[in-house]
Amino acid sequence: MPSSGPSFFQLVCSVLAAFFGVQSEHNRQRDFSRGSAWPYLVMGLLASGVFVIFVILLVRWALSLAGA
Amino acid sequence: MRVAAQFLLLALASGASPAYADWQLNMPRGVTEISHAVFDLHMIIFWICVAIAVVVFGVMFWSIFHHRKSRGARAENFHENTLVEVIWTLVPFVILIGMAVPATATLVKMYDNSDAEVDIQVTGYQWKWRYQYLGEDIDFFSSLTTPREQINNEAPKDENYLLEVDNPMVIPAGKKVRFLVTAADVIHSWWVPAFAVKKDAIPGFINEAWTNVPEPGIYRGQCAELCGKDHGFMPIVVEVKSQAEYDQWLVDTRAAQAATAAAASQVLSMDELMAKGEQVYNTACAACHQVNGQGLGSVFPALKGSKIALGDIDAHIDIVVNGKAGTAMQAFKDQLSAVDLAAVITWERNAWGNNVGDKVDPATIQKLKEGAE
Ligand code: HEC
Ligand SMILES: [Cu+2]
Repeated sequence: MPSSGPSFFQLVCSVLAAFFGVQSEHNRQRDFSRGSAWPYLVMGLLASGVFVIFVILLVRWALSLAGA
Repeated sequence: MRVAAQFLLLALASGASPAYADWQLNMPRGVTEISHAVFDLHMIIFWICVAIAVVVFGVMFWSIFHHRKSRGARAENFHENTLVEVIWTLVPFVILIGMAVPATATLVKMYDNSDAEVDIQVTGYQWKWRYQYLGEDIDFFSSLTTPREQINNEAPKDENYLLEVDNPMVIPAGKKVRFLVTAADVIHSWWVPAFAVKKDAIPGFINEAWTNVPEPGIYRGQCAELCGKDHGFMPIVVEVKSQAEYDQWLVDTRAAQAATAAAASQVLSMDELMAKGEQVYNTACAACHQVNGQGLGSVFPALKGSKIALGDIDAHIDIVVNGKAGTAMQAFKDQLSAVDLAAVITWERNAWGNNVGDKVDPATIQKLKEGAE
């Protein structure tokens, strides 16, 4: 069983899959054999922050279209 | 079969065909650009929901029927299918975005309160509305005029039962009118369906809304936030007039308000005060203290035989003019003219067997009013 941590790309993919709400069983097995949950938690928080900023920008953009 | 036919009719009627106006179930289309946009949004989303229902229930019922046990169907028990899950997550997402785009465009328009040509402060009271035309020196209350006999089923009901007021709001046609909505006691909500305007009236807050009604006419609405015993008895009537008629109305209303203020110096006889007092009492006080002056349970005290109504006249005047903080007994100094106040207090002291025999002069009240300002 490989106990090295997940790669950065895998982390991002897993967090995005969690945001989307769908994850394949294969990746789930892989993520849950990686020992520590911390990398996922940190990446999840970061992604939440990015999402909030994205929504703020989206609202600004919609309002600017309306000329407000 | 009949049920199916009725459903079909219902679907047709919801397309707002005027033939079904008599038993309309759908929301009204209204008379303003915004209300039309709101109605169209409502219809688009309604049909999207219908399409979704047809597809989802169609597949479901077809599956149930096609894979029935009598045809030897056996349950599959695979566990996951990432592709299908991605699709059924993406499809609703796309539908929701598709609905959010036109909805946002309409909302942004509804919230654009800029560049109004008329500003009216709308204040909810238990149970009437007050309209103050900012910068126009016009300020009045708008109360229900549906007769008590109709409410108590003692007379046939009018067409506009519970939707008739003494002083309607008047606005000019084709002009952007801004409403600054607030309340004096509890939360109310100022709602005129034909304008697609519904704004909560909250004490201590001012909410803004606006409308621009192209055609003159009379439009009716109601308080839309449960606000106590007579919540259903504080309707809204808006009269939309052409600009010329509106200007004339402003002049007339200002003159009438000045005349009311001037009348404060006149001296009225006991009979005049009593006649006027009964009238004022029935519109302004009877909702709580009741027509017979006997109040309502322990909530609204009786005035017949009340210590205050039979006692010191200054205390009596004080509670009516200034109200009693923290109770439903509101200050009437802004709501009623000096003459009306003098008349109603006189009435309370001499009606229902309260035979105190004294009367209040409008001038006395006017002094109090001026002192308070
Ligand atoms: C929204 C309900 C409401 C309305 C409308 C109302 N009152 Fe009252 N009134 C009350 C309540 C509640 C009290 C009792 C206040 C208290 O707790 O002392 C009261 C008390 C009084 C009292 C003192 C009675 C006593 O013996 O304590 C007088 C007089 C009075 N009202 C006159 C009037 C007059 C005149 C009007 C109309 C111009 C009016 N009220 C309208 C709710 C109302
Ligand atoms: Cu109300």
